[in-house]
Amino acid sequence: MKTKAIDYGSIFYPPGGILLWIIIFLELITFGIALVFFAISSKENPEMFSESREHLNGVFGVINTIFLLTSGFFMANTVSAVKKNKIAKAKLYILVTMGFGVLFLILKSFEYSGKIATGYTMGYNLFFNYYWLLTLFHVIHVLVGLVILTFTYFSFKKPAENLEIEDVEASAAFWHMCDLIWLLLFPMLYLIS
Amino acid sequence: MKNKNIITLGVLIILTVVTGLVSENHQSYQTANMFIMLLSGLKFLLVAFQFMELKKANIFWKMTLIVFIILFTSLVLII
Repeated sequence: MKTKAIDYGSIFYPPGGILLWIIIFLELITFGIALVFFAISSKENPEMFSESREHLNGVFGVINTIFLLTSGFFMANTVSAVKKNKIAKAKLYILVTMGFGVLFLILKSFEYSGKIATGYTMGYNLFFNYYWLLTLFHVIHVLVGLVILTFTYFSFKKPAENLEIEDVEASAAFWHMCDLIWLLLFPMLYLIS
Repeated sequence: MKNKNIITLGVLIILTVVTGLVSENHQSYQTANMFIMLLSGLKFLLVAFQFMELKKANIFWKMTLIVFIILFTSLVLII
């Protein structure tokens, strides 16, 4: 495996790479601004937002958060295993990571189908416009993350000397970014009133 | 490293369940909202510093993320 010493303490080499961290901050700022507007709208329409929030299932939100956090835990273990050159373990860990990502999507689909069946679709009211836009945009990130992790999994089949730790770290950083975005969305949409 | 990750995951799951419970059972909306946002900010930092290994990164990246989450949480709570 190609493991030239990386000086993570340098401003130019954060774990995952500087370009990915610029993307992470741009994504966080984008979602952050959208959520601040969500909070402003909530302040302007407190009854509608409070009543609409009652239609979201907080238990689904908690379980989905646990799925993503557990997935992130296994992703961190994947990077750690690759650094120790334990590729067989890394393959197993990344599959578990993807498994929890898929569980998140299955539960989200179940939640979405319930909302569609009861008519709480995009356009129902302002709260559900935010709900669909924000969560669907996040789901797209999870889907892209799963594609990246699939490529990373297949890269583990390459000869060890062709495997670059920076690529694995960048994939991990993107996957963790999905966690970070969800950790902003979850309390705002499901928990606070 | 692995032990720290397991402890971090345990703490994250506990904090998630606690925020869920506080959201369902509370006396004052304001206090509950503040508590939920503070715990969520803590979870955000735990994922970034432990799972993403931001703790190894340059102070610039650490401070930028801390400033972001403080700013975001404060704005939401002030609004």
